[in-house]
Formats: sequence, structure tokens, C-alpha cells
Amino acid sequence: MALVLGIETSCDETAVGIVNDRKLLANVISSSVEQHARFGGVVPEVASRAHLEAMQQVIKQALKDASVTLEDIEAIAVTAGPGLIGALLVGVSSASGLALALDKPLYGINHLSAHIAVDRLDNDASMQPTIALLVSGGHSSILQVNNLATDVIVKGATIDDAAGEAFDKIARIMGLGFPGGPVIDKAASSGNKDAILFPRGLTQSADLEEHRYDFSFSGLKTAVSRCLQQTPNYLKADVAASFQEAVVDVLLIKSIAVCKDSGIDNLVIAGGVAANSRLRELAKQRCEVANIALRIPPAGLCTDNGAMVAALGSLAINEGVKPSQTGLSADSAASIAQVIW
Amino acid sequence: MSTILAIDTSTSRTSVALVADGKVLFTKFHEDSLAHGEVLPKLVKEALAVNKDIDLVAVGMGPGPFTGLRVGISFAQSFALGLNIDWVGVCSLDAMAASINESEFIVSTDARRKERFWAIYKDGKRVSDPAVSQATELEKLGIPIFNEGDYFPDPVLLANLVPNTKSVEQPIYIRKPDAYPLPVGVKFRAMTTLDLVVAAGIEKEVYGKAAWSNAQFKEEFAKAPKDAYYLAAEAEGELIAYAGIFFVADVADIHTITVVEKYRRKGVGRELLKRLIDWARVKKADAIMLEMRLGNDAARPLYELNGFVEVSKRENYYGPGLTAVVMRKELK
Repeated sequence: MALVLGIETSCDETAVGIVNDRKLLANVISSSVEQHARFGGVVPEVASRAHLEAMQQVIKQALKDASVTLEDIEAIAVTAGPGLIGALLVGVSSASGLALALDKPLYGINHLSAHIAVDRLDNDASMQPTIALLVSGGHSSILQVNNLATDVIVKGATIDDAAGEAFDKIARIMGLGFPGGPVIDKAASSGNKDAILFPRGLTQSADLEEHRYDFSFSGLKTAVSRCLQQTPNYLKADVAASFQEAVVDVLLIKSIAVCKDSGIDNLVIAGGVAANSRLRELAKQRCEVANIALRIPPAGLCTDNGAMVAALGSLAINEGVKPSQTGLSADSAASIAQVIW
Repeated sequence: MSTILAIDTSTSRTSVALVADGKVLFTKFHEDSLAHGEVLPKLVKEALAVNKDIDLVAVGMGPGPFTGLRVGISFAQSFALGLNIDWVGVCSLDAMAASINESEFIVSTDARRKERFWAIYKDGKRVSDPAVSQATELEKLGIPIFNEGDYFPDPVLLANLVPNTKSVEQPIYIRKPDAYPLPVGVKFRAMTTLDLVVAAGIEKEVYGKAAWSNAQFKEEFAKAPKDAYYLAAEAEGELIAYAGIFFVADVADIHTITVVEKYRRKGVGRELLKRLIDWARVKKADAIMLEMRLGNDAARPLYELNGFVEVSKRENYYGPGLTAVVMRKELK
């Protein structure tokens, strides 16, 4: 049992969460997403400035929400990578300052693992080993999680765009706005998912040998933009729904294949794209049929947040992982293999 | 008794001091413009080993390169929050000027891109707001200049400035973020074979005899999709710009960035270039190269701003008497 404060600043959300082992006490997020919308994507310097501006207030609010003081906090956890380097450094420096002032241990943690760790919160069941589908704006991977703090194996990954990136790009082409995930989800809700049959990347037998569990979304992206061009009077809702169906279909085909091949009948879906309503719905249907126990964190905990960072920090403490050294750095290109620094 | 922990990360130096009522208990710096984040906690830990009872944190608020600057400020603010004490922000140039005995002078620090952050001091007081300018502009003022390298913001002097300073609450950035809104009404998408006829027409209009033909375009398109990337921009349903890049042996080569006359100087080329650079990064290219016609001054500042440097010239590249300038941007 440990009271952990987690800080997340890897992209455009300045977020602080507080957990007591598996219990979520606070989850405060200040987003600069609106500042980025007119640029059509996250601008690193804009995000970094917003982090510094919001950081102190977000920490104070989280303490208030959790009804604890800084003296009560037993450890600080912070996202050390992967992410935007300037953005990460605001969080890492803030966490280092807190840890030194409070004389408490500091855990630099991996953003990707944290997305999976959030599943621990308010949830007693243990699901290890488990297969994890991690889908966000920057990542699309299938992982075999033997022990989240110490032993994660990559089974498959995207060979080009991340799933969330494909959502952003298609939304941009269709003039739906940014970020793409929520706007396409919304547009698709009134569309026909079977209106257009878009390609499912790397599902042909010729591809399966080399890329059995890998994803590719660039062909889909090209197919959608070609379709938009050739049929100028397309129904936005139908294109959105058909595109979304193609992404979700492949994500689940491959995840369930990994579960079956590895004999692990647990699946956790995590990351920002896990908030997508069609992915949640179809995952539930297919896992039921395949006899796989499925867990998807609440939509509000799928996108970037501080609670997931605190959750992984608290898991690290439980697993007896050593804290990070003073002088923890940020690693913008950290791989999933590095869970705790 | 009041003990101040002073921090400055506004220059290539990370520096920390501990000053108790004017008495220096600890002062140390580390020189590395890319390591503020790692170094600062270590130096503060050393200072805490000397004395851990701290009453106030003073921090240099810049101006300075942004990422390093924010390390110091973010750390200082959270450290103060952790101890439940106040923090005071000080203009970093003031802490540098405090060691200089001249009646009138300028202090200047490296702002990168061949520019300097600077301010003017007279009789011990700053008489101008911190600003950013080209070094050559600064020299024209005819006032003695004290540069970063010979002088640095001294954390001891920074602590000593606290009693007479009104706290600077916001980082002194001066420059705006390098971000530009997307051109209004312009859509960016992948270029397809359907664009080629229109593109060949634009080529002829823009480049005359050096234009690529429809057939040359098709040949480029036939290359494996993973080695080449072609982008199109359209406005009001018409093709207005296109750009292409291909990847050969660790280097990505920009083949073209072409914008029709009417849509120039609206940020279309900038956005296309940005996307080509992003693609090259994803491909893990070591560098990006491009050739530009000598005298093509309209595009050159855009390339330079994005880190391209002239590496050579090729005569008669675009035809008799038409010289190409070869530019390169390192990605590693």
C-alpha cells in the first residue's frame, strides 16, 4: 500500500493523479488541445509552455481532490518517455523538485506501460499474464504482459502509422477537426459501417507470414483519400463509419489471434483509441465469442492522465522495483521494454 | 536567518547556489547545454547535503533557450511547493550584469539561430526590456557588450538580487513559438495518379523548360510506396501545390515543393516542407537534401529556418547557366 502522486506531460495534457495502491483518489487534467487545433496537430513548444503554466495549479488541485497533503505522499512517479522531449522535461523537473524537497522516492515510468497499468485502478482481479492492445495517437502495439513492472514482450506493432494517427489524418482530410478520434467516432455514429469496404492492412495470407501480428494503416489512409476524391458527394457519416470499422476490425482480428496463439485468454485494451465507442462494442462481442476475458479501462482513463502514471508507480513499489536515481532524465524515444528507469 | 536556494538554467550552464544572509554556503555549475534536466537535481542534492533548511527559492526566469529554461523554473516551483516556501523569479540577465562594473553596457546570451538575448544596463540598473536580435544589430548600438562565455548569470548574485527585486512570475520567452496556423481553406492529402495531369500543367507554368513531364512524374510514382512520399494541397477543389520526397541510402531527397503563384506566401509551402521532414524522420533518415535554383530567394529563408544549410553548388543543373544550390539538413 502506498500513496503515490503521478505526473504526466508527454504530449498536450498536463495531468496529475493520486492513487492509494489500487484506489483512485484524484485525476486532474489540464489540456492545451484547443490551442493546437488551429495548427492541425500538437505544436511541441506550445504544449511545453502550457505545461509549465498549468503544472503548479494541477498539482494543488489533485491534492485537494484527494484530500491529502504533500507530506502524506509516499512516492512521486513521472512519465520519463516516450513523448515530446520539451514537454516531458517540464514534468520530470517538477517531479524531481518535489521528490528532493519531500525527500521521497522518485519513479520515472514508461508512458505506454502506464496506459496498461491504469487497468489496476479500482479493480481487484489480477490478469497476469495478459495480452494488451495498446492503441493511441503515437502507438499501436500488441504486447504480452507477463509482469507489467518487469516483463513485457512486444508481439506486434504498426509498420507505418499509429491507429490514432490514422484517425487524425482522415479527420483532417474530411475537414472534421482535431483530434481525429472523438470527431470520427461522433460522425460515424449516424453512418453505415458497411457502406464502403476499405482494405484491412496486413490481413492477406501473403502478409501474414512476416507480419502476423503487425498493423499497417497507410494503405487504408490512401484508400479513404482516394474514395473521397472519386466521390465528391460522399456522406461524411458513411465514410467515417466505414473507415472506423476497418481500423477496429484489424485491431481486434490481430489481438484475438495473439490471445489464441499464446494461450492467454485475457485481453486489456488501453491507450487513447480505447475510448472509441465502436472498438469497445466490437471487442466485447468478439471476446465473448472467443471466450476471452476482456478489460477496457473507463473511457476517461484511456486518454493521457496522471492516475495511470501513479498506478504504475504504485505497482513498481509493490513489485519491489528500485526508485530512479537523482538526475532522472527524459527519453523521448523510450521503447516499451524500458518500464521503470 | 534566511537561506536562499538559487537556480539558473537560462544558458548552457546549470548553476546552483545556497546563500544565507549574504554568506555563500554552496555554489556550483555544470556546463552542458543539453543536460539541465539531469544535472540540476544532482547539484541541488549536493547543496542540500550542506544545508537542508531552506527559506526561499530564487530562480532565473530567462531569457534563454526554452527547454533548458523551463527545467530550472519547473524544478524551482515544485521544490518550493514541496517545502511549502515561496519562490522568486529574477531576470537572468540581471544576475549576469551584477558582476560587471561599467557605467553603460550590454549583456548578451546565446539565443541560437545566430541571434542574441540582450539588455542594456546603465549605472547598475537595467534600462531596457530583455530583447532578441541578430548579433550584428547589437554591435551597431556602439555600447560595450559582455557575452555569455566570458560571463554567466551567477546564482550567488541572483540570490543577492532577491531583496530588491519584484518577482518575475512568467518565463521571459520573448520569441513566440515557431507555430503557424494552417492556411485557411487548404486541404492536404496524399497525391495520387489522378493529380498528375494537373500537376504536369503546373510544372510547365512554374518551371518552363525544366518542368517535369507527365511521364517523369509517373516514373517517380511507380517507385515503391515505402520509399517515396508525395503530397498534394487543394483549395476550392483544385490542386494548388504538391511536394515529393524519396529515400535513398540513409538520405531523404526532396524532389519538389511546388506552389501555384496565387497561393504563394500563405504557409502552404511551409506546411508541405514540415510534412516531408516529418516523413523523413519516421523513415529514420540521417539527413534530408534538396536542390534549389540559384536566385530562388523566396524559398531560401524557409529552408534555412528549417535547418537546411548550403553544402555545394552544381552548375548548369537546371539547364545552361542555371545553377543549383544543394542544401542539407541533418536529422541525426
